Formats: sequence, C-alpha cells, structure tokens
Amino acid sequence: MRVNPLFSFKWFSAGLIWFWLGLFVLVPLLMLLTASFLQRGETEFVKFAFTLENYQRIFNPIYLDVFWNSFYLAAMTTLFCLLLGYPFAFLLARVTGKYKHLLLLFVIIPFWTSSLIRTYAMVIILKTNGVMNSFLQWLGLIQEPIQLLYTPAAVVVGLVYSLLPFMVLPLYATIEKLDIRLIEAAKDLGARNVRIFWSIIIPLTMPGIIAGSMLVFLPALGMFYIPDLLGGAKALLIGNLIQNQFLSARDWPFGAAVSIILVLVMSLLLVLYYFSILRNSNNRDKVGL
Amino acid sequence: MKKLLFMLLFALSTPSFAEEAKELNLYNWAEYLPKAVLDKFTQETGIKVNYATYDTNEVMYAKVKTLRGEGYDLVVPSNYYVSRMIRENMLTKLDLSKLSNFKNLDSKLLNQTYDPNNQFSVPYTWGTTGIGFNSKQIKMGAISKWADLWDIKYKNSLLMLDDMREVMGMGLKVLGYAANDTNEEHLNQAYEKLKELLPNIKMFYAESPKVMFLEGEVKSGMIWNGEAFIANRENADIQYVYPAEGVTLWVDNLVIPQGAKHLENAYKFINFILRPEIGKIIAEEIGYASPNLEVIKLLPKKVTENRIAYPSADDLKNAQLQQDVGDSLVLFEKYWQKLKVAAGKQ
Repeated sequence: MRVNPLFSFKWFSAGLIWFWLGLFVLVPLLMLLTASFLQRGETEFVKFAFTLENYQRIFNPIYLDVFWNSFYLAAMTTLFCLLLGYPFAFLLARVTGKYKHLLLLFVIIPFWTSSLIRTYAMVIILKTNGVMNSFLQWLGLIQEPIQLLYTPAAVVVGLVYSLLPFMVLPLYATIEKLDIRLIEAAKDLGARNVRIFWSIIIPLTMPGIIAGSMLVFLPALGMFYIPDLLGGAKALLIGNLIQNQFLSARDWPFGAAVSIILVLVMSLLLVLYYFSILRNSNNRDKVGL
Repeated sequence: MKKLLFMLLFALSTPSFAEEAKELNLYNWAEYLPKAVLDKFTQETGIKVNYATYDTNEVMYAKVKTLRGEGYDLVVPSNYYVSRMIRENMLTKLDLSKLSNFKNLDSKLLNQTYDPNNQFSVPYTWGTTGIGFNSKQIKMGAISKWADLWDIKYKNSLLMLDDMREVMGMGLKVLGYAANDTNEEHLNQAYEKLKELLPNIKMFYAESPKVMFLEGEVKSGMIWNGEAFIANRENADIQYVYPAEGVTLWVDNLVIPQGAKHLENAYKFINFILRPEIGKIIAEEIGYASPNLEVIKLLPKKVTENRIAYPSADDLKNAQLQQDVGDSLVLFEKYWQKLKVAAGKQ
C-alpha cells in the first residue's frame, strides 16, 4: 500500500501538535484538577483525601476581592488598549506603500524583547530620579520629582504598553477588510460621519474588537509581575494569589482550585467569543456580505 | 557461564571504582557568592560548578522537595527552613570529620536550636533585619524603634520587604508579642496594626532593597543589614538602626539535600568556603557578617567595627531568631493576604 506523502505529513504534524498539547497542557491541567480536590498536606504538598473545601474557600470575601481587583485591572487595560489601538489600527489600514510596512514593524518590534525586560525599562523611565522626571525638570514643568512609579496609574500604563500589539493586530486585520464602498454608499445616502462610524464601521469591525479585547483581557488577568514591579506589590491579584499558595503558603490544593476557576472563567469568555463570531458571520450571510 | 559471571561482577562493581563526576550543583541566594570564589574552586579542584539562584526560602524548598534532592548537591536555607527540612528528612547527615575547617567557625553560631550539634548544617553567613534610613531626609535618632515608622510624616516613603514572615513579625513585635507568635488573635491584632502603616508604605520589595534606598525612592524602611552595609559603603547617608523592639536574627546554612549525587564534591566545596582567605572574599563582597572567626581576623578593623554588619551585644538585646511556625503558616498567609488586599484598596 502506498501512503500519500501529503497525507502522512498532515498526520505527522497534527499528531505532533496533539502530542505536545497533551503532554504539556492536558496532563498538567489534569494534575491541577486532581490536586484541587485534595487536602493540604503538612510535609507533602498534597494529602490524598477528597475535599470540596478548596472551592468553598474561594467564596471568602478576601478572595472575591482578589478576583474583583484582577478583573477591574484587566478591564481597564482592555479599555485603554482599545481607545489607543483602534485609531492606530485604522491609520495602519489606511496608509499605503512603504509606510504601512514600517508602521507594522513598529507594532511588532516590542515582541523581540521579553516583556519582563521591557517592564524593567519602564522602571528606569518612571522612577524618582528617572528619565521622565529629569526631562520634566529640564523643561521646567516641575521643580521636585513627582511620583510616577509605584502608583495604580503606572500599573495600567505598563499593562497597556505590554499588551497593545495584541489589540492592534486583530483590529488591523478586520479594518483592512472593511469594504470602503459601504461607507461611500452611506455617505451618498446622507449619513453623517458619527452615524457612519457607529452604524457601519463599528459593527463591521466588531470581530476585531472582540478578538483584540480577548487577547488583552486574558493575559492581563494573569500578568502579576507588572503590578508587582510598577505598582510596588501593593495589591493582591489572582496571579500573586496562586503563586503565594504554591510557594509561601504551601497550599497546593487551594492554589490549584484558584487556577482551575481562572481557567474556567477564561474558557467561558472564549465560548462567548466563539458564539459571537458565529452570530456575526450568520448576520453577514443574511445581508449577503 | 564464567564469562557471564565475570560481566555481572564487573557491572556490579563499576560504581565503586568510578569516581564521582567532576560536577557540583549549587543552589544559593541571589547575589550571595562572588563569582571569583567559584572560579577559584574550579581551578583548584577541576570540579565544574553549576550555579543557580533563588530569592526566597520558599522557592528553594519547593524545588528541592519536588526533585527529592536529586537536582542539587548544596543549598543554603535560612535557619527556620533548616529545622523544617531536617524534620521532613530532606537533608543528609554530615560527616564533620570531612570538614577540616569546621573548627574556624564561631561557636556562638553553632549548636543552635534549629540544628543541635550541627548534624545537618554549616553556617554560611548570618544577619539581621532592621531599619534603614537616609540621614539626609530623616534626622539621626528620629527612628529608634519599629513603632516610629507609623509616624504620619513618613507618608508614602517606606519600603517593606515583600516577605510575609518579616512584615507580620514586625507587626507582632510592635505590639509586644514574639515574632514567632502563632496565636490567631495576636496575628489579627498585628494585621490591624499593619493596616495603619499602609499609607506610609511606598512599596513591598525584596529583590534588592538597597537599590531603593540608594536611588532615593524611599526614605526609610525594612532592610537586611548586609544590604544596608553595602548601601552605606556607597552612600554614607544610608544608615541602619537596630530597633528597640528587637531585630529579626537569621543564619543561612550550607546543607546537602538527601539524594544529592555529588556528595564528595559538596564536602569539598563546604570545606573550601570555610577557608579563611575564601571566607574573606565572600564577606567583603556580599556585606553580611562571616560566621568564621579566622575570616574576621583577616578583615580590616573598619569592617569588623562597623555595627551594621557586626552588631554589638547591646544591638542584639531583644533580637529573635526566626523560627519555623509549622502549620500556623496558613494563619500568617491569611492575614498577609488581607493586608495586601487592604493595600490594593488604598
């Protein structure tokens, strides 16, 4: 029997990915799930006895606060990324020629350096005797250094800076596909710019808005090192909470339970995203786009 | 048959005459051992040192525990983790006869409660956690005890180590309790007290607190004496105080995890570290006090008379050795989390 080389290649590459995901995503996740139903052990990390207590504990007001803080911060980050990213993506989609490639390159360049290192760079810029304060003093706008670092604003700025490309790229992809004739038609029919924006551009670029928001919101939930470095570790976020359970409190089952809840919340968001795309493409089919 | 027997014998006996690989896996605190010492050791013995670092005892413990000791030949836990690791059978009982330089150690630091007769651990350095301040911004003498940090004039200008035991311990001591107190009511009171300090705290940070003092990010706060010593050497305005309620005292120790693969090399390295001239290089570079009396003889008077690194008996009057709190760690964690959540709401 002869095997089609293309066929076997397909199986090989798909198999490799399945193997990879199975070994490094599914197996650890199952271990986490198991651990979340076990009891804390004093000398070993877990005691093999079933309990639901880890999940009950999450409803303690402290942990609800932790979840709320993390969601709030992630939501703020997403909002600012959208406000900054949308006009930029629009510009990117509308410029032509070599500038377009240059601008795209600017979006991608930050990925060449680790986000942790870029966060340390922000520390150097924002600290009391840092670049920003020296510059403002040189301009004569301020007399004494002002506190920029270790504030909630610094945390949001750091998160937005790190995650902005994830917002810009999907937005760019949908805005570029935007059919300019629809806008022209709306203009001919006498729609004002604001109306065109709200009724045509926004709905048509919605898939990009949703995709970008997901790509920003989900990592922002877990990125605890940015609040630690730029905010002075003055808040407890889900990421810190999980890290603390595994390291300082040595309560692996509870840490596992919090991780599982986080995974569930993220999955829920992804399911909603999936349905929104489905609905969107159905709508398009209806209007014949 | 004879041949087979011979082969079997050979296979069985190989390990006994195969020499230990010329390798040593050392896991130590960050910025805690000069590279020159490692190079010298390799040069002299031909043993290659694989060096990795950690920031907290907890991280070290979790790794050693998960690997069941097989990944590391030598680690450097603080005293309260030594006792824990002994209790959990994680350490190799030492053969002190292999350590000819052990006699150089200061007997005051030996035979402590966390490891009676030093059956498992050899002191590496020791130090204290006290208060640092910038004398340009804060008058000398204005801060003499932990409670002074609560003064509203230090609003948003203090550093706290991002270390649960240190911060909660300070809260307990200010209230007159022991830093190792595990009574929940006392911990709750300490939490309430620490909550009042939050407006003064600019950051929680433990990687390298001296940097924040040197760069003027903070005016005062909690700092390890070795860090303060180096900061003081770079900028004489940075001072260190032994607060009246008592400093936290700790000893970091060289230990060999149970299951270590390069036992002989680990012994060689410990003995090497205990040599006076090697201990001197370490003491001069990292700023913490040496537990080695022969090293102290070699150090300049300027260093050994510096109270930051080498406190007087008076400085250590109310000092408390940090102890393992066992299961009560969960209580510490609970109030520490509450404190961090409250900090986030400020």
